[in-house]
Amino acid sequence: MTETGPNGATDSVAAAVVELRGVTREYGSKQARVCALAGVDVAFSPGTWTAVMGPSGSGKSTLLHCAAGLEQVSGGQVFLLGEEITDASDNKLTELRRRSIGFVFQTFNLINSLSAEQNVALPLKLAGRTVAKKQVRAALAAVGLADRLRHRPAELSGGQQQRVAIARAMVTRPAVLFADEPTGALDSKSARNVMTLLRDLVSSDNQTIVMVTHDPAAAASADSVLYLSDGRIIDQDFRPTVHGVADRLARLER
Amino acid sequence: MFEFSLYTFRERWQLFVGSILTVAVGVGLMQASLRVLIAAQDPPVPAGASVIEAARIRESYDGATTLMGMTMLLSAFLAIFVVSSTFAFTVAQRRRDLALLRLVGGSKRQLRRLLLSEALLLGACGAVLGVPVGMLALRVQIWLTKELGFLPQDFTVSPSGWVVLATAAAGVVIALLGVRAAAWRAAKVRPLEALRDTGAARQVMTPARWVVGLLLAGVAAGLVVLAQAVGSVAALVVAMGFAMIGAVALSLLSPLVVPLTSRVFGFVLRYSTLGRIAEANLREGVRRSASTAAPLIVLISLVLGLFGALSSLTKAAAQEQLDTVNGDLIVRSTGAEAGRVSTVDGVAVASPEIEVPMALTMTVLNADSGEPEEEKYYSGITAIDPAAYQRTHDVSMLAGSLADLSGDTIAATLISEHRAEIGTTASAELDGRTLALRLVGTMPEGLASGESFLVPLSVVPPDVLAGAPAETVVVLADGADPAAVTKTLRGKGFEVSTVADWVASTSARREQDDVGIMVVLMGLAGLYTALAVVNSVVIAYAARRHEFATARVTGLKRVQVVRMALIESCAVTFIGLFLGGLVVAGTLLGVGAATGSALGTPVVAVPWTLGSILAAGAFVVTSVTSVLTTLSATRPRPVTLVAARE
Repeated sequence: MTETGPNGATDSVAAAVVELRGVTREYGSKQARVCALAGVDVAFSPGTWTAVMGPSGSGKSTLLHCAAGLEQVSGGQVFLLGEEITDASDNKLTELRRRSIGFVFQTFNLINSLSAEQNVALPLKLAGRTVAKKQVRAALAAVGLADRLRHRPAELSGGQQQRVAIARAMVTRPAVLFADEPTGALDSKSARNVMTLLRDLVSSDNQTIVMVTHDPAAAASADSVLYLSDGRIIDQDFRPTVHGVADRLARLER
Repeated sequence: MFEFSLYTFRERWQLFVGSILTVAVGVGLMQASLRVLIAAQDPPVPAGASVIEAARIRESYDGATTLMGMTMLLSAFLAIFVVSSTFAFTVAQRRRDLALLRLVGGSKRQLRRLLLSEALLLGACGAVLGVPVGMLALRVQIWLTKELGFLPQDFTVSPSGWVVLATAAAGVVIALLGVRAAAWRAAKVRPLEALRDTGAARQVMTPARWVVGLLLAGVAAGLVVLAQAVGSVAALVVAMGFAMIGAVALSLLSPLVVPLTSRVFGFVLRYSTLGRIAEANLREGVRRSASTAAPLIVLISLVLGLFGALSSLTKAAAQEQLDTVNGDLIVRSTGAEAGRVSTVDGVAVASPEIEVPMALTMTVLNADSGEPEEEKYYSGITAIDPAAYQRTHDVSMLAGSLADLSGDTIAATLISEHRAEIGTTASAELDGRTLALRLVGTMPEGLASGESFLVPLSVVPPDVLAGAPAETVVVLADGADPAAVTKTLRGKGFEVSTVADWVASTSARREQDDVGIMVVLMGLAGLYTALAVVNSVVIAYAARRHEFATARVTGLKRVQVVRMALIESCAVTFIGLFLGGLVVAGTLLGVGAATGSALGTPVVAVPWTLGSILAAGAFVVTSVTSVLTTLSATRPRPVTLVAARE
C-alpha cells in the first residue's frame, strides 16, 4: 500500500516533513523473530495532525520511534525534511532532536528536580542556545501555565505536567512533534485541554504532529487517522469521528 | 548544565553526599597513613647514642614503617575501590535521567562532560573535607600505633603540606577515573531508555567486566601458587595481595552469583509472598545487588583473609618450634646464671641460648641476581654451645655445618631473597670491639624466625653474656622426674616451663601482636569499608521510592515493604559474605600451602570467631540501614509518588 499524506496527494512526497519508505522493524534473533513493522510506507505533510491507531502490539509505538530516529529500522528508509536519516550518526540524530523533533509522552518524562521553567529551558540549554526568559515564559504561557513557572512536576497535576511537556517540546519550534499516548495518563477533561492545545498548534502555527493513541476521542481531534495492524498500515480515515474511530478499532481488535 | 547537577542534588542528595563522603574519608586515610609512614622513616636518634642503641631505635621504627607502608597501600587501594565503585554506581542509578537528557537534545559529549564535571566537583569537595578527616585519622592512627607498641611513645609527626596536597589531588583524580568508565558507558544510553520505567542497564556483565574479572581471578590464583614458594613474611604480603585482587575480581564477577543466590532465597522463602517479591527484585536489580555487595566482599576478604593468614602463620610457627626443639624444659635466666643449669641433678643436656647485643655487617647475595648487598643486622643474634644446641634442636642446613661453629665463626639464617657463601666474613661490632666472623653454615628460613644468627659462646666476652637474657633448653636424664627437676631449678631461682608451655606463651604473645597489627592495619580501613557498605545500601534504596510506592498502591502495607527490602538486603549481605568467604578460603589455601611446604603438613587457623562477629555485624548494619532508608523512602503517601512518575 503506497499510502500518502492526509490529502491523498502523491506529489506531496517531496514536501513531506517525515516519510517512511518500506520500513520494516524486527526484534529478536532467528528463532524468536518478532516483526513489529512489516513494510510501512507513509508520508506526513506539513501542518497536518495524524493519529496512529491500532490494537496493542500492532506496531504503533515502533512506527513512532522509527520515524523519530529513536530506533534503528531493520529495512527501508526514513526521511526527515527530505533528508535521509535511516543510518544517521548519533551526533546527527542529536542535532535533529535539538532542532527538528519534539517529543511528548504518556509518562510526561519531566525531570523531577527541575521546575517547570527549567524543564522547558532544558532543550535550549542543551542545544547551546542562549535562553531568553521571555521565550521560555511564552512557551509556558501558550500552554496556559504562566502562573506555574517555579512549580516542580510533583507539585503539578497530570494535565499540567503534560502541558509543561508540550511547552518543552515546542520551545525549540520543531518541524514535527511526536506524541506517544499523550492523553494516556490523563482524565478526560485534562485530555480535552491537551487536544485543544495541539489543535491550536496545528491551525495557528502550521505544526506537524504525529500522535500514537488508544483513545478514540483523541484520535478524532486529529486531521486523519492511520490504522495499523500486525505491523502494516491497513486503512486511513480522513474524516475521523469518535464513533467511527471506536467502531473501526473495535473491529480491528476482534 | 551544572544547574542540572545542582537540582539533581536536591532530588538525589544521598548519591552526592555518599560520593563526597567516600572521597573525604579515603583521602583522609591516605593522608594519615602517608604522614605516619614518612615520619617513621626518619627515626629521631639522640646524639651520643651507642651503635646498638641507635639500632634499637631504628628497629622499633622499622616494624612501624613496614606496617604503615602496608596501611598506606591498603588505604590507597580502598580509596580507589570504594570511590570508583560508588561513583560508577551513582551514574548507573541515574541512567533514566540521563536518557531523558539525550531525548531532549543532549549529546553524548554533553553527558560525559556533565558526569565528569560533577565528579570533579564532588571529588574536590571530598578532597577538601578530607583534610580535617585526615587530621582526625592521623590522631587515631598514631594513638593506636603507639598504644599497641608499634611506635615509641615520643613519636611525633611534623606537618607536611605536600602530603595533604598530594593525597587531596589523588582523591580528585581517583574520583575522575572512577567516573570516566561509567560516564562513557552512560553516554551510550539510548534515548529510548527514558521511556522505560526502570532505568536499569540491560546488560550488567559487560565484556570489560568479564575480561577484567576473570583476569584478576587468574592473577589471584597465580598468587596462591606463588605463596608456596616464598617465605613466611612474604606469604603475608602475598596474602594481602590475594585478598585485594581476589576481592576486586569477585566484585566484578558478583552479578553472576546474584541470580543464583536470589533463587536460593526464593526457594527458602517460597511460601511467603514477600520472599517471592524480594527474589524477583533481586533478579531485577542485579546491578544494584552487585554494587551493594562489593564493599562487603572487600571488607570480608581483607579483614578475615589477613587475620586468617597472620594467625595461621603464628600457629604454624608454634608447630615448627614444637617440631624442632627436642627438650623437656625451658629455663629462663640471665646469661650469668645459665651456666649453672647443667649442674643440676637430672639434667642430661642444657643448651643455653643467649641473645647478644651485637651489630653485624655482612655481604649477602641476592638470591635471584647474585648481586652482592651489604646488610646490617642488630637483632636475632644468639650465642650458643654448638654441641648442646645440636642435641636439643633439629637443625637442617642449607650449607656448611654447625659442627664448625668454633672460634670466630657464625651461622646464618637468611630470608629467602638472600643467600651467602660459606667462608664469607661478617664484621661484628660488640662491646666496643670489632670482630671478623667466618660464616660456617647457613640454614633455611623458618616460620618462627626471620633473619637470625648463631655464634659460639666463646665469641662473646663473659661480662656481656652475663648481663644478657638467656633461655636454656633442658633434656632430662633417663628416669629423671620432671617435677622434681623443675622444683630443684625453681629452688635455685630459675624460671622454668615445659617446652609446650613455652611455645604456647610465645604463640600467645605473637597472637596479641597479630591482633595489634590487624587493628592498626584494618581498624580505620575497616570502618571506611563499613561506611561504604552503608553508603551503597542508602544509595540503592533511596532511589526506589517510586517502586516502593507502586508496591504499596498494589496492596502492600508500609511494614511489608520494609520487610521486603529487609529480606533483599539480607540476601545481598549473604552474597557479600559468601563471595568474601571465597576470597578468604583462597587466602587460607595459599597460606596452607606455604605452611605445608615448610612443615610437611599444612597448618591453617580459620578465623571462625572473628568471621562470625563480622558476619553478624554485617547483617546488623545492612539490616538497620535498609530498614531506616526504606522507612524514609516510604514516608510520603504512595499515591503522590506514583502520580509524579519518577
